Amino acid sequence: MSRANQAGSQLSGSGAAAQDGTTRALQSALAAEQEAVYGYGVVGAYLSGAGQSTADADWLAHQNASNTIQALLRQRGTRPSAAAVAYELPIPVQTPAQAVSLAVIIEDRIASTYLGLVALDSPAIRKFGALQVQASALRAAAWRGSTVAFPGLPTAAAAPRRGGHSS
Amino acid sequence: MAVDPARRRVMLAAAAALPLAALSGCQGLGVLGTPPPAPPDVVSLQGAIAAEKLMVARYATALRSAGSWPAAAAQVLEPLHAEHQAHLAQLQSRLVVPSGSAASASPSAHAASPPAVPTAAAAAVAFLMAAEQAAATAMLGRVTNAPSALAQLYASISASEATHVPVLNQAGQAAG
Repeated sequence: MSRANQAGSQLSGSGAAAQDGTTRALQSALAAEQEAVYGYGVVGAYLSGAGQSTADADWLAHQNASNTIQALLRQRGTRPSAAAVAYELPIPVQTPAQAVSLAVIIEDRIASTYLGLVALDSPAIRKFGALQVQASALRAAAWRGSTVAFPGLPTAAAAPRRGGHSS
Repeated sequence: MAVDPARRRVMLAAAAALPLAALSGCQGLGVLGTPPPAPPDVVSLQGAIAAEKLMVARYATALRSAGSWPAAAAQVLEPLHAEHQAHLAQLQSRLVVPSGSAASASPSAHAASPPAVPTAAAAAVAFLMAAEQAAATAMLGRVTNAPSALAQLYASISASEATHVPVLNQAGQAAG
């Protein structure tokens, strides 16, 4: 998952420092999207009916986001990192319930990754990041069947005052 | 109270920072006599806090009439209310202002009277749905100019509010 991009990591010189941070953040968002695309392939394989349709739609959303980030990187004169052939899944998936859990894990990770973009200087990248956090939170809530107060933030920072509404 | 060395030092520092043209009229004391206006970060945070207070109050109002609603519509309110309370607590924890400054005096003056929310289930849920959508959009608008950590909190809260919309939409269908 963490393939260092040679062109990106070899940017040097005093003026490149800020740009380098943005480039690295975009590359890690791209890596997370590529892993999400792979993960949703697995999710969809274990689901049928409406679940499979949702997995397909979400797979496409991540593919589109991945394309957008690749374009952003090219605009910055950086070659986007290639996706890995396969990724180690965060949990074993052999049942539909595990597939749904994987989808939730994928979206939580994606939301955190995009919050990283929200901390950058560029207003355009911040806005893109924030919109992607929204989109990810919507997908996560659909899979989870409930909402959370602070999508993408570490749970310690997001300590709920009262219980969430998973039944 | 008369000749305060600390204040003189502040004036000197301020004078050093001013362009030459501004030095001609010596208005230093008058300027220092009033508290400075709140910086933009603080104004933006106060706006976010006021918006969350309003959402919390709207859910509190809706909960008071939810006793007569269909259960499927009524039961979504409490968890969403709790999430707004969590948003509000996080936002308030980021606001640290000296007491008596202009920044601490301005907000919450009109938080006293409860906001108007329709009492019938379907109308109330539709109202809250529109309010959530507007709140999510407004919070998103605060992201671009805020300091990084605050921008991340705004983005996360905006995302949370966006997820409330489909929950309310489903509840609205149940309320029929």
